[in-house]
Amino acid sequence: MQEKMTGKEPLLEIKNIFASTEDLTILKGVDITIQPGEIHAIMGRNGCGKSTLSKIIAGHPAYKINQGSITFKGKNIKSLEPEERAKSGIFLGFQYPIEIPGVSNLEFLRVATNARRKFLKQQELDTFEFEDLVKEKLELVKMDYAFLNRSINQGFSGGEKKRNEILQMALLNPEIAILDETDSGLDIDALRIVASGIKKIANKENGIILITHYQRLLDEIKPDFVHVMANGQIIKTGDCKLALELEKNGYEWTDQLSQDS
Amino acid sequence: MINENLVSNVVTEPYKYGFVTDIETEKISKGLNEEIIRLISRKKDEPEYLLNFRLKAFKKWQKMEEPNWADLGYKKIDYQDIIYYSAPKQKEKKSSLDEVDPKLLETFDKLGIPLTEQKRLTNVAVDAVFDSVSIATTYKEQLAEHGVIFCSISEAVKEHSALIEKYLGSVVPASDNYFAALNSAVFSDGSFVYIPKGVECPMDLSSYFRINSGDSGQFERTLIIAEESSTVSYLEGCTAPMFDTNTLHAAVVELIALDNASIKYSTVQNWYAGNENGVGGIFNFVTKRGKCLGKKSKISWSQVETGSAITWKYPSCILLGEESIGEFYSVALTNNLQQADTGTKMIHIGAKTKSTIVSKGISAGKSSNSYRGLVKMGSKATGSRNYSQCDSMLIGDQASANTFPYIQSQQPNSEVEHEASTCRISEDQLFYLQSRGIEFEEAVSMMVSGFCRDVFNQLPMEFAAEADKLLALKLEGSVG
Amino acid sequence: MKIIDYITEEKINLSTNLSKIQNFCASKLRETPLPKSQSETWRISNKQKLSSLLEYQYDLNSYQPNIPSYLTSKKAIKINVGNANQFNLKENDWQIKELNTKEINFLIEEKIINNNSEPTWTNLLNHSLVSEENLLGIKISGENIPPLQIFCNSKINHFNAKTLILLIDEKTTVDLLQVNLGDKNSSLSLTTYVWLEKEASLNHGVISLGNGTSNLLNSLDVVQKIGSNYKLSTIQMQYDFARFEVNINQSEGGGHTTIRGMQVSNDNEQIGTYTKVVFNGPKGYLDQLNKSLANDKSHSIFDGSIIVPKNAQKTDAAQLSRNLLLSNTAKIDTKPQLEIIADDVKCKHGATITQLNEDELFYMRSRGLTFAEASKLQLKSYYKEIIDSIPVLEEGLELLNHLIN
Repeated sequence: MQEKMTGKEPLLEIKNIFASTEDLTILKGVDITIQPGEIHAIMGRNGCGKSTLSKIIAGHPAYKINQGSITFKGKNIKSLEPEERAKSGIFLGFQYPIEIPGVSNLEFLRVATNARRKFLKQQELDTFEFEDLVKEKLELVKMDYAFLNRSINQGFSGGEKKRNEILQMALLNPEIAILDETDSGLDIDALRIVASGIKKIANKENGIILITHYQRLLDEIKPDFVHVMANGQIIKTGDCKLALELEKNGYEWTDQLSQDS
Repeated sequence: MINENLVSNVVTEPYKYGFVTDIETEKISKGLNEEIIRLISRKKDEPEYLLNFRLKAFKKWQKMEEPNWADLGYKKIDYQDIIYYSAPKQKEKKSSLDEVDPKLLETFDKLGIPLTEQKRLTNVAVDAVFDSVSIATTYKEQLAEHGVIFCSISEAVKEHSALIEKYLGSVVPASDNYFAALNSAVFSDGSFVYIPKGVECPMDLSSYFRINSGDSGQFERTLIIAEESSTVSYLEGCTAPMFDTNTLHAAVVELIALDNASIKYSTVQNWYAGNENGVGGIFNFVTKRGKCLGKKSKISWSQVETGSAITWKYPSCILLGEESIGEFYSVALTNNLQQADTGTKMIHIGAKTKSTIVSKGISAGKSSNSYRGLVKMGSKATGSRNYSQCDSMLIGDQASANTFPYIQSQQPNSEVEHEASTCRISEDQLFYLQSRGIEFEEAVSMMVSGFCRDVFNQLPMEFAAEADKLLALKLEGSVG
Repeated sequence: MKIIDYITEEKINLSTNLSKIQNFCASKLRETPLPKSQSETWRISNKQKLSSLLEYQYDLNSYQPNIPSYLTSKKAIKINVGNANQFNLKENDWQIKELNTKEINFLIEEKIINNNSEPTWTNLLNHSLVSEENLLGIKISGENIPPLQIFCNSKINHFNAKTLILLIDEKTTVDLLQVNLGDKNSSLSLTTYVWLEKEASLNHGVISLGNGTSNLLNSLDVVQKIGSNYKLSTIQMQYDFARFEVNINQSEGGGHTTIRGMQVSNDNEQIGTYTKVVFNGPKGYLDQLNKSLANDKSHSIFDGSIIVPKNAQKTDAAQLSRNLLLSNTAKIDTKPQLEIIADDVKCKHGATITQLNEDELFYMRSRGLTFAEASKLQLKSYYKEIIDSIPVLEEGLELLNHLIN
């Protein structure tokens, strides 16, 4: 279905995935292939399985893969722990970033960054070196250094939490980033900041999956592919025109498609 | 779901201070009676008043009943089956460290408390107590230059008798409770600190308590006096070998702060906790109390309690002086079948007194962890305030966390505020950290130390690092 | 005959139908005629007041209470415990049916005799003394049930004992206001049992008003089945000695409990509330607020425990104890307690003891109100939160004015 074949090894290949949580099957055969440099958008109604897809890629323990495979850079990652996936370059931007009282944001970012750097066989950063790096990345999301001295996401506004997610993405420098409704709950200024942050991180080597309900994020970041999900499956794939069509016609016509398939 | 076993594994760590020092000791025979008390007193060559103090306490103790209100389930202690005095055999009087048995020095080396001049910790003076006696105190001379007295309590009885006679038992009277009475009758050694007027103690003082013998109890007594406008920071550490019997530790700590004086007392308690089936471990029944006697005096307790089979301990402050301040910061971690019942009493008597209580309990395994506290506003404590916060973290569904705060007020112009909450490490929090590449173990340990952060911030620098390490150690283990 | 003598002299044989329970309770009471003072919940009770409470003349009879207008509801069905004849109110869609002696005996025996836990002293005393006439059990079922008012009272120079049993049927919703009145120099022992079946809902108000020298021993025991909703709003004041024991058991978890309690003590009074909420299954909910206000030389006590055993995962419980200490000679004791074993729970409690907010007082006074006026306004708002949540009450404002003055 995807036209842009480069002949290179795909970055991420999801094949016929069936997944469930608490005995409820949510994904019912999802296929998706992402090449380096590609931006994909996944759209669909609440409960269609978008977030579940993102969680199984990141390895959330509450979700079980019953069938199918997930291959990251040619390697099956199904049995990897979440932290192993993260270190190897998979990043999930949470729809609802978790608050962790008492744990310093700065400390958290440094430990995470160094875990990734160690995996990449780069030198780990001491506190001073890290401070320089994080200051540079803070620019990207227009965050104040003071945020780093607070506990992880605690007392952050919705916009601040999402910016903190993009900051983490910038620091971890992932090869594949799944951003789960990063645009939800943001006002237009915050959306622009987040979008410009994502654009600066995107490059020819990495791949990005944007999970969203709305067109407005896609106005800022143009996806190469748009997938529409319904009832645990991808029912239609197209280019950015598909998103516009969706915006115009709403999700009702996808119901039709989902029944057809 | 979170694999509960994984989390529990993380909080289980072999006890690394469990070795026994093979040393010849001088022990008196088991049991407790008037003759034993006279014997202890004689061995220590004590003045008459102290012997009387002991005998009076013993008479009171005989009439008292062992408390059972703390909900602690344990096998009845046979007080006649305990050795009340045990000391490593040494030459008469140690004039210098060179004469201390190398085995003892080695023991403290292994515990990370080197005592010899070359290796001793910089900026911390240490009084090392081995079973019933103090074996060495470092930096004594340097401290003496500032007029600070830091020595074993036995030595203080001889050299500073007036102070002992005046203050011993003035904060914790012998009749205070069952274990305080027992301690008053049989206490063998401990530390004595005297900070003269206007002196800021130039270094942290520290006592390290080591129980080595399996059949003797440890009954140490600590007395700290801070004269007007003086300050001192005192640290206490404890370990014991692994025995499959229970050893009784019943200490008494008394603090006295005069006008504008400030005492900070920090404890990292890591007595042997018994094995995963609850066999062995120390019974830690301790009475710690400070008296803010002077105006604007301040006593601050911080404790990190990770060891002992049973802990029963309520470091308290009697806020007598106007505008005096009491603080209690506590982290208690229990695992397996450990039981901890700890908290504080803040007794506001003087006007404009303030107290703060921050307690963090972490219960894992089948352990039981209780906060029990009393805040009392007396009728003259006008303009006084208390703030308490007690948080519990539960790991696994077998552990229990209880909160029993008791608040009593007789003074309308005072404020008392208490908050408590319970949480656990949520699956989502763990996943969030893991999804950023942080290992499971490290994620758990990060969250536990984040939970305790308010308390760790209160510990002296050297101790904060040690406490964090200790907790991390407890959290270290095989995953999966 | 005084109560204590009555019990110790084995004179109890008030009713053949209740004799098994009475004998059981009386024999236990003979062992401990007064509660053990070591017992944690009785430790700070005023023993002198307690024993003088038992000095009154025991009285089997029941008297028509004198109900003030601000406590009557025009719409409500009114029942006096003590002189109700056998009744069975039945409409098309609802029914209030009186339980017979056999049913009542069965229910009380389950609570007192066939129960693993030791019965409370308060209930032992009650069951030793309650006669058949002073015992009312009703079962309520159906829809669109009119509001209910149930009255209990004690007569001057007497000790009266009453027992009330309420069974609320599945999916039945009831608004009930219990009014307990005490004459001068009198004692009332009241024990109430409530069973809320699945998805039943009870909006329960309890107003206990004495006359300054009255005494009250009030025990309320509630069992909530899954999906049931229990809301308790209480006010107690003007007693020389009052003790309110509330025991709520969400027997299967999954219940919803709300408690709004208030107690006011003046003069030399001692007023205490002791609540215990136990979750015996998952997904229970509790929201509890207890307010107390202590004046003069009085003593106010709140002791509230929340117990969450291992099988009560996903319990969500919050308790707040707010206390106002208004005099230099008054005393407040508060003891909120949590006992938790389940790990996946949200539990919190809080307690504050303060006086009236100084900034607010100053603000009002700077606008020309006198100190007394400003304090009264503040107190009103303190009371109002509780009064507003009491069901059935029609003259809340009038009650408020009565209580404030």
